[in-house]
Amino acid sequence: MNESGKILYEKVKSKIKDSQKEGTLEKQFGDFWKFACVIKTRQHDLRYLYDDTSREFVDNNRDSLIEMREEFVNNMDLYVGKCINIMRKKNFTVHYAKTNDEAQKIFMEELGDSKIIYKSKSNEAKDIGIIDVLKKNGIIIKETDLGDVLIQLFDYKLPSFQIGPGVHFTEEEIVKKIKEVYGVELEPKAQAIVNYFRSTYRNELLNNVKISLTSANAISAEEGTIVLGENEGNISLITRATDKHIVVCGITKIVPNILDAVLVTQLQSRINNVSFNYISLISGPSNTSDIQGTSVQGMYGAKEVVVILVDDWRTKAVNENLIYADFLKCIGCKSCIYPCTASRAFGNIYASKYGLGATAIIRDYIHNGIEAAVNDGLFLCTGCENCYHWCPVSINCGEILKSMKKEATEKGLAPPHLEQYKEKIFKNKNPFL
Amino acid sequence: MTKLIFLGCLSNSKYKNTCGNAIKIIQSIDPSYIVLDDVPCCGALSYHIGNDVELREHVEFVNHWLKKNNISEIVTTCAGCYNYLTKYYNQFLGQDFTVKVKHFLQYLAEPKNLLKLDLKYIGKKIKVSYHDACHLRNAVNPVIEEPRQILDAIENIEVKEMENNRTNSICCGAGGGVYSVFKENSDYNSKLIFDQLNRGKILLTACPFCFTALTRIREENQLKKPVKKIEDFIVNIMEGVDPLSE
Repeated sequence: MNESGKILYEKVKSKIKDSQKEGTLEKQFGDFWKFACVIKTRQHDLRYLYDDTSREFVDNNRDSLIEMREEFVNNMDLYVGKCINIMRKKNFTVHYAKTNDEAQKIFMEELGDSKIIYKSKSNEAKDIGIIDVLKKNGIIIKETDLGDVLIQLFDYKLPSFQIGPGVHFTEEEIVKKIKEVYGVELEPKAQAIVNYFRSTYRNELLNNVKISLTSANAISAEEGTIVLGENEGNISLITRATDKHIVVCGITKIVPNILDAVLVTQLQSRINNVSFNYISLISGPSNTSDIQGTSVQGMYGAKEVVVILVDDWRTKAVNENLIYADFLKCIGCKSCIYPCTASRAFGNIYASKYGLGATAIIRDYIHNGIEAAVNDGLFLCTGCENCYHWCPVSINCGEILKSMKKEATEKGLAPPHLEQYKEKIFKNKNPFL
Repeated sequence: MTKLIFLGCLSNSKYKNTCGNAIKIIQSIDPSYIVLDDVPCCGALSYHIGNDVELREHVEFVNHWLKKNNISEIVTTCAGCYNYLTKYYNQFLGQDFTVKVKHFLQYLAEPKNLLKLDLKYIGKKIKVSYHDACHLRNAVNPVIEEPRQILDAIENIEVKEMENNRTNSICCGAGGGVYSVFKENSDYNSKLIFDQLNRGKILLTACPFCFTALTRIREENQLKKPVKKIEDFIVNIMEGVDPLSE
């Protein structure tokens, strides 16, 4: 174990200590998260909305989903080319960025002189570094998903639950914060808080948005259609009542056809037990041909839809058979975090700036290397493979993390006791002697 | 050709009594199974952190030892050893690994062996819960239904499933070497397993790592319901001892 290893070990230990101390943000989140994981996993076996449980839904679709994702990963170039081709024909402005740096540059060019952007929740934007570059350039980021609005309101810096980022704040905390920031007194009730944002923020979203940013739940290569699921209506507003809608996502959001895209979206909804009350299928900018059959772009909806498809680590992962190549199959459903032993026990300290759990740690490893992953709590993973058993596309995050642990050990970053165990096994042929 | 009872380093170092019970059960079915003194570690958690070169060396060392001792069959009482012996030895050695490896529960669940044991509990019906260890449910040939078949075959013993069972079971938080570094993982998860006991009067496990974590949590939280290794539970029944006793 080297000096960096010692520092990282102490850091993780100290974060764990914080997560157990009453009154800390980590403890507050951890308590909420423990409860959420139990409820979420329990919901997988309930039948309150549909005839089948979400576990049955996943089990029934697992084989075809795996086949579909493997087909895409094995023919990534083909599907990306096909997708770009059809999207251009449908009047999307399409950019293909080889790296995150390139994507960020393209994004800033598309942003032009605008100093403000309205965005929906997007893990892809974090992965591609768009948020960092916007902050660096002093662009005002207006979150529109209520959870993210709350995160901004509280200036919450710790990793949070990707699906409901602000769900751990209590009603009392929220109304107190609103009073502090906006000087408005509200009843500490969810309805009153929602009414407040509806009566204030909705007008802004309907009238002020010039440029909006979203990711995509999936993109169909055959039809060149972007699928976006939501329940608040914020995505519907900012993708329609805008001049320019920019979609930024990794090429792995592409699936062969529209039915696959809808299936992926439905799966994300079922796994998380969130209802997508709106599913948008966007196949180009708004247009009309009502004047003499002349096609004119930019009727009531977006005048322009820009799609930035980013490769960065993805093609490289397949070509070089990197340890996280399997992660390319990921459809971003977040199913792996709820049954995760480490996530349940450690909440937002087994996490990275990309969110909670193993996939967020894998992303941090991809972009920031092994030290970042160790700092995120890589060695908190027991390798129980609960993530794998439940994953609808059978990604074994446990195995990926195991490979990462090996790399960390080679680089002297493994916690002290583990190194000792290894030595004893190889030298004494018994770790307990 | 020799048939070996592979006890595993943890059990052999810390749970001698349990090892004795496992040997008793196996030898009551087939006395030709033997125990050897200098059995090397299967490699255990080094698979999480060792590199391929050192792992290969270790696996080859163990295989050489097995060959030297003329071992043709192994019944292992350790969930971890079962997982690693069936996964990595084939992966690293291919056809050079010729030993037949079975877990204790697989061996016991074979109909002829269950018949031979003929387990009966003379007493009031007991509801028990079985904790699926990751090592057994994740193995190349998973051991999931076998413990249930064994327990169901015992008269007056009824398995009460916990909310999370089989491939959906909760990990005790001790795997992957995490127990030696960050015990806080098992502080939460092992407690969660006890919380799911409900109508089960006793928690049974077949994994010495789970047993270690669960025992600590039981003691620290002063929980009433006992946790027991399944081989100890079976020997209690064989010998007419109250299986709920500690």
